[in-house]
Amino acid sequence: MVIVEERMDSVDVLRLEGRLDASSANDLKEKVNDFAQEKRLNFVIDMAAIDFIDSSGLGSLVSSLRSVNKLGGDIKIASLKDAVRSIFELTRLHRIFEIFDDAEAAVKSFEV
Amino acid sequence: MQRKIKLVIDSDLENIALIGTAINKLCSLIPLSDEEAFQMELCVVEAVTNSIKHAYGYDSEHQVEINFVLSSEELTVDICDKGTPLDKELMEKKFKEPLECDDTDPDNVPEGGRGLAIINTIMDNVSYKSEKGINCLTMKKRFNLLVGGAKGPVNG
Repeated sequence: MVIVEERMDSVDVLRLEGRLDASSANDLKEKVNDFAQEKRLNFVIDMAAIDFIDSSGLGSLVSSLRSVNKLGGDIKIASLKDAVRSIFELTRLHRIFEIFDDAEAAVKSFEV
Repeated sequence: MQRKIKLVIDSDLENIALIGTAINKLCSLIPLSDEEAFQMELCVVEAVTNSIKHAYGYDSEHQVEINFVLSSEELTVDICDKGTPLDKELMEKKFKEPLECDDTDPDNVPEGGRGLAIINTIMDNVSYKSEKGINCLTMKKRFNLLVGGAKGPVNG
């Protein structure tokens, strides 16, 4: 999995590409933790280019959310493909995360 | 008539994408929608990940065998390893765990341990057998050649 970083209006947008599974789940957790240590606590995870996610990948999102929530930050999800969205719904995680159609809308939601 | 293919990988998490991609493509032979094919891939990935994590403790010196069997109305996938068998009681507990979670507080949401519950939710039948040092998780999914998402006959 590739993680492309972009800073938009004091929000870190992490654009994920490929497969978020057991082999890549730690990469995401480490990336979020690295930013959190620099007090960068608000994230949008853009999953437009994620073709596959499994329970380990979902676990990495939950773990990252907990970490930044404890420090007063938040993680919002953007651009889920239909099949990936179906797994969020199957595991009920669509009720834990705020999910947006695109990264720009997710970034704007931090302004409110 | 049954059609079968056996896939074998070294027990390295990096190899799971190979199996997942192959299973998704194989599912295009049967009348499943893209979403259902994704879910079949997910179940196989969860089971293979369990073998690598729990049966082999992340040791990549072993092998995981995946048998993909197509009959006229059913897909059967066996995931077999020769590592430490899963604890049956724990497994049954995991199977029965609901995927519901308390959405009022992320701290109440488990980070992991959803794999078997996901498999049990998606598949029509799941069983686990450990005999003579070989552990096999068998998953079955029925499909109807005449209904929904058909991409062509199995024998076409």
